[in-house]
Amino acid sequence: MQLTTDELRHLQDMAYQIRRLSLEMITYSQWGHIGGAFSMAELLAVLYGKDMKLDPKQPLLESRDRLILSKAHGSPALYAVLALKGFMPVEKIYQYCEIGGLEGHTHIESAPGIEATGGPLGMGLSVAVGMAMGLRRKENPRSRVFCILGDGECNEGNVWEAAMSAAHYHLDNLIAIVDYNKAMAKGFVWDLMGIEPFADKWKAFGWNVLEIDGHDLQAVASALHTARWVKANGSPVVIIAHTVKGKGIEQAEFNYKWHTHAPDPETADAMLREVARNYGYPEEGYSKLEKAIEKETFYGGE
Amino acid sequence: MAENKTSTPELRDAFGKTLLELGQENNKIVFLDADLHTSTKATGFKQTFPDRFVQVGIAEQNLFGIAAGLAFEGFIPFPSTFAAFASRRALDQIAISICFPKINVKIPGSYCGIPTSRAGGSHNCIEDLAVMRALPNMKVADPGSNEDLRQIMRTAVATPGPVYFRVTRYAVPELFGPGHQFEWGKGVVLRPGSDVTLFGTGVMTHFCLEAAGILAEQAIQAEVVHLASVKPIDSELIVQSAQKTGCAVTAENATIYGGLGDAVSQVLAEAHPVPVYRIGVRDQFVESGGIEELFALHQMTPQDIAKAALEVIRKKARSEQEAI
Repeated sequence: MQLTTDELRHLQDMAYQIRRLSLEMITYSQWGHIGGAFSMAELLAVLYGKDMKLDPKQPLLESRDRLILSKAHGSPALYAVLALKGFMPVEKIYQYCEIGGLEGHTHIESAPGIEATGGPLGMGLSVAVGMAMGLRRKENPRSRVFCILGDGECNEGNVWEAAMSAAHYHLDNLIAIVDYNKAMAKGFVWDLMGIEPFADKWKAFGWNVLEIDGHDLQAVASALHTARWVKANGSPVVIIAHTVKGKGIEQAEFNYKWHTHAPDPETADAMLREVARNYGYPEEGYSKLEKAIEKETFYGGE
Repeated sequence: MAENKTSTPELRDAFGKTLLELGQENNKIVFLDADLHTSTKATGFKQTFPDRFVQVGIAEQNLFGIAAGLAFEGFIPFPSTFAAFASRRALDQIAISICFPKINVKIPGSYCGIPTSRAGGSHNCIEDLAVMRALPNMKVADPGSNEDLRQIMRTAVATPGPVYFRVTRYAVPELFGPGHQFEWGKGVVLRPGSDVTLFGTGVMTHFCLEAAGILAEQAIQAEVVHLASVKPIDSELIVQSAQKTGCAVTAENATIYGGLGDAVSQVLAEAHPVPVYRIGVRDQFVESGGIEELFALHQMTPQDIAKAALEVIRKKARSEQEAI
């Protein structure tokens, strides 16, 4: 499965816009997780820009594909892609973490297109298993359930309970994607709680495993395409996507200090210009640069 | 000392029967088990509707997560385990995957409070009422009899959103005749009286009725109010009864921290303060033992309720004298 030049360009644009809008909303709200949003920009771009069956005008259409963001702190990226797809007006991103706006961690009531509520890590895959079972019960063979997990999240026992049950019930309509960005909140995965041999763990739990570079749009698209068709053996599929936390901003890359850290407007402006340069777009700074920050800044990542 | 001499089936048997009845009426109901279905009495449902019986193994966090996923797809899941594991092991999943998005999951908590088996402090769950009551969007009920449980289950299915209800491994005489209806936030006066109100929930309501009998022998007229709906609670009835009697005893088959006793006390403290005594487990784990022995050990028998009633009546009289 080869992406056309036009498709590739479209997905690059989406990934760039996901990063842009994520940083805009994190800076404006003075809260959020840049690293974990940026690391999955390409994953979300291919899912929402190419692979998933979705109709923003009918967000609850039965035949849609479902996606649960188990690493729900990556919410800016998911809200961004939903806005880009027309599930909500783009302006709504400036209500991130505001009362009645977009919840800090993805919440089903925040926006159409959000399929569940999350926050505490380790829980999303179980919900995805339940949805995949539900689709089976409704004899809906068209839809599938995607679940994006973090790497550090896989320290949680609940993930492996869910993994065990997905294989037991032969849920080949379930595709898990691990955003393996190597960094957790307070350090690197291998220092805090190692997860390797990671692919072997999933294999031992009865899953089909694909391992890719999660920033390579073509690789992501091919893996998702393969995941749709490897199901002949009746097992769920996990795509281990090797990514870089904070990918696109040099000072945030592989830097767990930017796990939770809202930049001030000047820093955000410079960061956005850097992202534009890195991905070959005309330089565009922070759109609310003139607006003074009136909120407290949360430096949870320090 | 309350002797459990009744020939009525245990509440958990009534649960199994009602589950089957609801399963026949509503094909959206899916029962999820974590390796306990013979204890929780879901075997009939399993045999009759094998396709709607999901075994998740010994994995309670996954149990409630899967239930959430099924509810998102339009099913009415009953994820079932012991109350201890629902309220302790899987609390986060219940709070965030189920209560926050207000989804349609009905949680039967089995083996509640004192009357479980001889399994001890790890399994005798006393904190579920408090814990579940603290969750936003959660409705909580503790049935007083088999028919009450049946109506609570029927109402739970008819009510959108998360519900937690207790299924006790104990038998009490039937409190209600045919035509009994359960309503969220509505209590029932089972015995009118003027001297003291005994507010009971779950199987303790039966003990309150027995206590009222003991008090009647001393010419004390106790009003017995059954509050199966622990959340929402019937504030109106609580205040109305306390205005009439001027003092109250609460009784729950659970810890006194955070459950019915606290709910009633909070209502009264804000609206109509009167002397209150809470009957329940007092900050201890309920260790292994015989059921009736444990009720006695934790001072939760009808005699204990009657004694507490006399005490609050004395307090009421004292404060009336002071007022003069």
